[in-house]
Amino acid sequence: MTQRTRYFMFGSALVMIVGLATGLVAFYNSGLPLRASSSGPAELAYVPADATGVAFADVRTIMNSDFRQRLRQVLPSGEEKDKLFAETGIDLERDIDTVVAGLTGSDPLKGGALVLVRGRFNDPMIETLAVQHGATVETYKGKRLILMTEHAETTGTVEPQAPTGESHTGAIAFLEPGLLALGEVSAVRRGIDVSATHEDVTKNEELMKFVSEMQGSGDAWVVGRVDAISNQTGVPQQVKDQMAAVQWMAASVRINTGVSGQIRAEARDDQSAEQLRAVVNGALAAGRLVSGNDPKATAMLNAIQPTGVGKTVGISFTLPPEIIDIINGVAGLNNLHSDKPATGGSSR
Amino acid sequence: MTQPANRRAPGVLYAALRVFDLSLSDMLWSRRTIFMALIVGLPVMLSVVIRVLLELGASNIRVNQTAVAGPTIFGLMIWGFFVRFTVPVLGVFYGTSLIADEVDDKTITYLFTRPIPRGAVVLGKYLAYMACATFVVLPSVLLVWLLIVPAGGSLGASFLDLLKDLLLIAIGLAVYGAVFSWVGAVFKRPLLFGLMFVFGWEVLVMALPGYMKRFSVAYYLQGLVPHAMPNDSAVSLVLSIFRETPPLAESLLMMALIEVAFLYLAARAVSKKEYVLEQ
Repeated sequence: MTQRTRYFMFGSALVMIVGLATGLVAFYNSGLPLRASSSGPAELAYVPADATGVAFADVRTIMNSDFRQRLRQVLPSGEEKDKLFAETGIDLERDIDTVVAGLTGSDPLKGGALVLVRGRFNDPMIETLAVQHGATVETYKGKRLILMTEHAETTGTVEPQAPTGESHTGAIAFLEPGLLALGEVSAVRRGIDVSATHEDVTKNEELMKFVSEMQGSGDAWVVGRVDAISNQTGVPQQVKDQMAAVQWMAASVRINTGVSGQIRAEARDDQSAEQLRAVVNGALAAGRLVSGNDPKATAMLNAIQPTGVGKTVGISFTLPPEIIDIINGVAGLNNLHSDKPATGGSSR
Repeated sequence: MTQPANRRAPGVLYAALRVFDLSLSDMLWSRRTIFMALIVGLPVMLSVVIRVLLELGASNIRVNQTAVAGPTIFGLMIWGFFVRFTVPVLGVFYGTSLIADEVDDKTITYLFTRPIPRGAVVLGKYLAYMACATFVVLPSVLLVWLLIVPAGGSLGASFLDLLKDLLLIAIGLAVYGAVFSWVGAVFKRPLLFGLMFVFGWEVLVMALPGYMKRFSVAYYLQGLVPHAMPNDSAVSLVLSIFRETPPLAESLLMMALIEVAFLYLAARAVSKKEYVLEQ
């Protein structure tokens, strides 16, 4: 081996080592620039280890995105958002930075979903407003809990009631400065318990594997066991049958001027994955054949890319800003139709 | 001076490493490597251009009138530049030349007169090809990844896919190299045969339904690619309809079998064949 060859090999090896080391550092820091730890958001310390799903949304980034501004022109403002503001003083658009949700299935003893909201909150005002709307306040293991009791809206009066059953009582807890927990009171209490015992979802290796993969891949992501979702009542049998082949699902979206994202499913075995891939590929191919020369439909279909190997089935997609313009147009058209007075022809 | 009577001929591995040492520099500084550098340099150049455009203020990159993020472009490059083109083409150009070049240059006699197994010559040259190809192609993939993925994507999130890409490209180079080293050892015009196999046979069987695609390397190699297959042409549309992805274990097992079998056949063909050097 000549000296020149040695130099070349050394240079080449150096490029590979530097590249791989950069990737490794980025991988353990969930993407460059540095964002968060690979063990997921800090809020996961309140999600129980037996959680079947975890979701995350960087609300601040999403609210500030061009996509959101465009979508705002199309979608009406939510009544629930206004109701939350009236009852707690929390403005979804301004006060919230991130939201983390942990799902523990439909078992009422485990409390269902726990939503952890990080942002800038006026704690005394939230408490005062909630109490004015019939809530009661208690302290649980050093944390302030607001128990949301139901009130009779039909009479127009506020009648505070004692919580009749914890599984039906909503709660807000002030966990840390700038961190609220929302959910069924049993779920919130359980969240406080697991943060004290450290038996949180980061101990759930199976789930955390997917969380680590999704973290940093988008502004919002969700990971969950599919059987836990399909066991819920209300899911149609056909959907349950299709979902039986899938064990885990994960999805993430990145929002800027448009929306790009990925959906990943982990099948029970290679054969199930192969069947799912065939279904996805077949549907996309059929879509292309049907869409013909329609450039908009072709652009939309081209934005969907099937992927995956082994037990993994995936779809990546990009929703360009033009699609929002199309939705804008369709929504505008619908509004135009709905504003028209009903004539004999249109009512038929 | 006489040789010691008890001196034994070197073993296959030792002899192969000697041939590897001898061949590596020749192979690395040959005209073929300039060709290879051009092939793998093209995606790097393209990545630099894209990155510069983005840094200068281009809002996004569009493929088929669709704005795409860096990881998607990287995936398209892995498919278009590396898996479908660079890997098979380098396999053909280098693999077929391992023995054929020595025959054409009439230097094979010097190797065959050494007291080493003929199979070790094939193995040593094959190892030199692998070192040469991987040390040129893999840094190129890494550079493309470092340049492209941060444009709308995350290096950390796509790191595992990068590792898979590097591994499958190395496996592809190894398997195609083994197949075409056998072709080079057996056929009179190996380059022509190799190009027909890569751009004729493999493309045809991959686009057809049925089991024929199992008689190609591309079927097993493309099944390992973690990125979405591009759908940019009529052929791609047909491929997406008839595409079957073999299970991971099957792909790896079949490629290992193909590599070992063809390397063995190449070594055997060189050992058995009588090379008549044309004057």
